[in-house]
Parts: sequence; structure tokens; C-alpha cells
Amino acid sequence: MTRHPRGGSLAPGIINQTPADGAPRGERRRALTVTVMWLIAALALLCLTSLLIGAGEVGPLTSLATLVGHPIGAATGSDEARFVMTELRGPRTLVGLAVGASLGIAGALLQAVARNPLAEPGLLGVSAGSAFAIAVALVLGASAATLRVSVAQLGAVCGCAFVLGASRLNAVGQDPIRLVLTGAVLSGLLGALTSLLLLMDQRAADEIRFWLVGSLAGRRLADLQAILPSLALAATITLTIARPLSALALGERVAVGLGHHPRRVRLLAIAVVAMLVGAATAVAGPIAFVGLVVPFAARAIAGPDIRRTLWLALILGPMVVIAADIVARVVVAPSELSLGVITALIGAPVLIAVVRSRRLPTL
Amino acid sequence: MDTSSPASTTGLGDLSDSGSSADHRQQADVIRPPAGHWRLALPMAGNEAALLIDRRALVANLGLLLALLILGALSLCLGSVTLSPLASARALFGQGSAMDSFLIHELRLPRLAAGIATGGAFALSGCLMQTLARNRLATPGIIGIDNGATAFAVASVVGLGVSLAPPALALVGAATATALTFGLAGGIGTRGYRFIVAGIGVGAVFGALTQLMLARVDIDTANAAYPWTVGSLNARDPVSLKVLEVSLLIGLLLSRRIAQALNVLRFSDSVAAGLGIQVTRCRRWALMLSVSLTALAVSVAGPVGMVALIGPELARHLSSPRGVPLVGSALAGALVMVSADLAGRLMLAPLEIPVGIVTAVIGGPVLLWILLRPTRKVP
Repeated sequence: MTRHPRGGSLAPGIINQTPADGAPRGERRRALTVTVMWLIAALALLCLTSLLIGAGEVGPLTSLATLVGHPIGAATGSDEARFVMTELRGPRTLVGLAVGASLGIAGALLQAVARNPLAEPGLLGVSAGSAFAIAVALVLGASAATLRVSVAQLGAVCGCAFVLGASRLNAVGQDPIRLVLTGAVLSGLLGALTSLLLLMDQRAADEIRFWLVGSLAGRRLADLQAILPSLALAATITLTIARPLSALALGERVAVGLGHHPRRVRLLAIAVVAMLVGAATAVAGPIAFVGLVVPFAARAIAGPDIRRTLWLALILGPMVVIAADIVARVVVAPSELSLGVITALIGAPVLIAVVRSRRLPTL
Repeated sequence: MDTSSPASTTGLGDLSDSGSSADHRQQADVIRPPAGHWRLALPMAGNEAALLIDRRALVANLGLLLALLILGALSLCLGSVTLSPLASARALFGQGSAMDSFLIHELRLPRLAAGIATGGAFALSGCLMQTLARNRLATPGIIGIDNGATAFAVASVVGLGVSLAPPALALVGAATATALTFGLAGGIGTRGYRFIVAGIGVGAVFGALTQLMLARVDIDTANAAYPWTVGSLNARDPVSLKVLEVSLLIGLLLSRRIAQALNVLRFSDSVAAGLGIQVTRCRRWALMLSVSLTALAVSVAGPVGMVALIGPELARHLSSPRGVPLVGSALAGALVMVSADLAGRLMLAPLEIPVGIVTAVIGGPVLLWILLRPTRKVP
């Protein structure tokens, strides 16, 4: 792994370099490995917390006692706690892992393809596209369950196509901010159309109202199984295109010179984004800002190379989603908060920070 | 209806004046008005006072007013119970049956008044904000001011131990959001797209806070507050409406006072200063007016952001490009609001679509067009 030249037109020093920027290569790699280890430990801890904490009667100590199998202090395990953990919190945590990883990776890929640090599936209207597609399918008479994932993915493809098509129009793509604005407007429009559809059809509204706010509450393992095939496919494709994408960051010509096909790589990347966002939206509803925050943090930790940021996004995405889910459960205790509210509170400041940075970085 | 009265009186005044201006043009020694204007001279003892009237703007405003009157009449007649024009006119002047009179006076007339007042206020404040930020997209709804006002007003509805009226809290919220957006824009200026995206970020935070507060109350209160949070004329509060009507009148008068300065403000700051405009003071006035009108309108109808974009856009297309169309924007905004509300009431008849959703569906394509249209290269 070579260092990218700083401030060059091909690969400008993106957000932050690693703190150990000037250190020799081996040392930097070791520092990164240590950071990744810490992150994995933190993710494990978050998953455990997510298992132990909840709004219901089952307290953390009781849950822990059930988990380890013998009493801790005064708390003893109970069947109720076992049920809560295996049927409610466990699936929820697993779904959170999958959704977070999908959204994080989708964000990183979309930013690489659009060469825009603000490109985010939620902001660019990809999530809104899949939500709208699901609403249309329900109004047309489909029922929930099996149809969902593919329909959501189809909607995500349409959302992607619209925004990337718009980016070719009148040099919108050259201005990252204008592209984001276009996406935000598209999101708003699709959101309004979705609410219009739901007003027209009470049955559909009842079926997806809870889903539409974006939440992990009440998700089952079956939901996870439905999206696993597409996640596996997306992971495979991602592995094959990570290297070409990294070359593409050095410019179209360099990538062609290295024997890659920029068009094909971009198309594949967009297909993966649509697959991942569609799957995540089908399970958890539209959740904005995760795809913005995660690559931002990943670049801050590991530098601009997408081959590293993808792996980091795989860890950071679930961390963000699960942490947000825990907060959403606890903050308004007996009831639940939508996940999107928490991610918006985390993500909007990051958005403003990126916009405010004097020389807007391009990817 | 009292909101449209100042516009109508000025319009009528202008008409009668335009007749007299014809004689003036016949006098050879009188100064010729610039093309597209009428020069209205008021002979006074000693010195003559003259007024230039933009012909196209006048025609546009009269047309908008006429359309507003027709739509207003329609929205009085149409609904789940359709009244004939005659019956509704009779009921309007206190002659109809008790049922008709209840429909008109208790339900439709206040709603129409709310539509006109909020539409006018949103569009006027949008026009002011666009002019002072020199940014066509900088309307209060887009840069997060609506959301700030909503968040604080919801706080008063939800009752976080504060016993202030929604309009007052909405004012505080709008001021907070404005301070945040403009403060964050400190380094990047207000002209480009960055300012807008920063504003969207601020709006997202306040939107999330609104959701957070609504999640804390019981489901009935939250459901009752829902139409209002997407923007609807259904849940209007009579006191807030009165406050809004009065302040819209004051706002129109005040904005007329700074209209000349605003016209010049479209040039660069140095040109404006060279022409004798106190740039900072003019901006401050315009900002204050815009923020307070937005806040008061939000306290009546919730955040119906797109009106602030469509209204001035429509007015600018209709009237001449010479001046900032303040009255025209207010009229066009009222027109958009009333027609969107009418459409929302009629489209899915027994159900009612909140006006905010209708305007979002109309306004989204307009906004996309603004963003995607080919940019003209300035030579």
C-alpha cells in the first residue's frame, strides 16, 4: 500500500490521514491493526449490551445471569429472560448487525462511485425510492412477507438511476453539493408521494406505518433470512470490485491503464448499493445518515483507500446502528423511538461539518 | 379575508391612477417614464410628487388577486357538502339557512382566511429571505427555519413544563434555527449550495427533535399533532390566526418600506452601499420580518415549506424582473396555499390530504427543475 500524494488532483488528502501519517509503513499498519481490534471489541461489547438492556421488566443483571447460566449476586436467570433474549433482543441485534453493515458498505461504495463525500443512500433518495416502491406494491394489493426484498431493491435501483442520471445533466455531478441537494429534494418528493399513497389506502398504511419510520423493533430471524442471499451476493461482488474501485480513485485513465473497466465497475458497484440498501430498507425501513457517518469515520481512521474503508465500514456500520438502537430503546423507556431520529441526530452534525470544510474534498 | 384587503385597495388605487396618467403623457414637456412604466404625478402646491408604476407588475398582481378571489369563492362553495354560489353568497351575508351559515362562517371562512394568511406569510418571508441571502433556494422551509419553529411549538403542545402560547415559542424556535444556520454559514457565505445543505442539516436535527418529543407523549396526543406536523389547515388555532393576520398586514407595510432598498440589494454590497443603502440595516430588517412571519405562519398551519419557494417563483415569472415582487409573492403564496388546500380536500373526498403533502408533491418537481436546469453562463 503506497501513500497517496496529498493535495494532488487525482487523490487529494481526503478527510484526515491517520495520526501516524509520517511513520514508517509497518508501524502504521500495526497501529491500524490495533485500532481495528479495539473496534471489534467495542462492537462485541455493544452487541452484549444490546442483549442485556431493554425497556421491559428483564433487567441487565437478570439477563446476564441467564446468559452465563448461574446466579450473579441476587439476580438469577429466568425463563422469561431467556425468552426475551432469544426471541426479542437476539434477533434484533443480529438484524442490526446486518442492516448496519449493509448501510455502511453501501455508503462507502456510493461515495466512491459518485466521487462525493456527501453521497449517502438516505440523502440521495435511494432509501426513499425503495420505501416508495414498497408502498406502491402494498397499495397494488401485495401483502408483506416475501415480496418485499426484491421490490425494495427495484425501488433502490430506480432511486440510484435517477440521481446518477441527474448527475450527468448540466454538470450537476461536478458539484457535489448540488448533487446532494438534488437527492434530498428527490427524497422529499418520494416521501410526500409515499404518504399520499398511504392516505389513499388505509390497509397498506396500517401494514407499514410502523416500518416506515425506520426501526429494528420486533424484527424476527425470518426477516434476516429473507435478505441473507442478497447480502451474500453483494459481499461477493464487493470483494471483486474493491481493487478496481481503489484504482478508479486515482482517475479514469490510471484505472484503464491498470486493466480495469471503469464503466463495468461502476455499474456493478451501483448494483451492489441498490441490493444492500434495498435489503436494509426492506428489513428496517428507511434509515438516513448511517451511510454518511460510517465512511466519514472510516476515512478518518484508515485514510482514503477504499479497500481499507470497506472493512472498517463493515465494523463501524453495525456499531452505529446497534448503538442507535440501544439509545432508541432506552431514551423514552416504555415506548420506542424510531432509529432514524437517533441517526439523524448523529448524522446531521457530520453533514454540516463536511459542508463547512473550506475546500470540499472530492473523492 | 382582511389579509387581502390592503392589496386590493392599493390595486384599485393604482387603477384609477393609471387613467389619469394618460393625460400626463400627452403633455410634451413632462418627463417621459421609462418603458413599461406609468408615471403618476400628483400635482401639489409648489413641488410635484411623482410615482412610477410598473405596468407588468401591476397587471400581474391584479391577475393574481382575481385568481385568488375566484379560488376563494370556489373553496367556500366546494367541499363534502357542495353549496351553490348563490346559497353560499347568501349564507356569507347572513341570509341563508342555519346549516349553510354554519358551514360558511364556522368551517370554510376561517379555513380560507387561514390559507390566505399562511400562504401570504410563507411566500413573503420566502421572497425576503431569498433576496437577503441572494440565493434562490434559501427559503425558510429549506434552510431549516420551519423545522425549528415546529420543534419549539411542538414542545409547547407536548407541554415540557412551559406555558407559553405556540406562536411565542415558534418565534423562539425560528430565531434559534436562523441563528444556527446563519452562524454555521459564517465561513461559507449564503450564496452557494453549501449554505442550503448546511440548512438542511440544521432542519434535520430539529425534525428529529420534534419526533423525539412526539414519541414521549401518549399516542392520542401524537396522532392529534400529526397533521399539524406535516402542515395542515385543519388544526388551526384561532388566537394564532389572529396574531398572524395582524402581523402579515404589518409585515406587508414594513416590507414595502424597505422594498426600494431590497431592489438595490440584488447588486453587490458595494454597489448597494454606493447607492446610499444601509446594507446591514436593510438585511437585518428583512431577516427579522422573514423569520417572524415564518414562525407565526408555522404556529397556524405547521411547516408548509414549499409555498415559500413556489410563491416567489410564480410571482417572479409573472411580474417584471425589475423589482423584488413582495406583494406579488404574498398573493401568489396565498393562491398556492388555497388551491393546494382545496385540492387536498377534494381529491380523496371523505379523506383529507394535509396541505403540506400536496405542496410537497407540487413543489418537489419545481425544486428539481431549479436544480437541474441548464445554468446560463454569465459573460
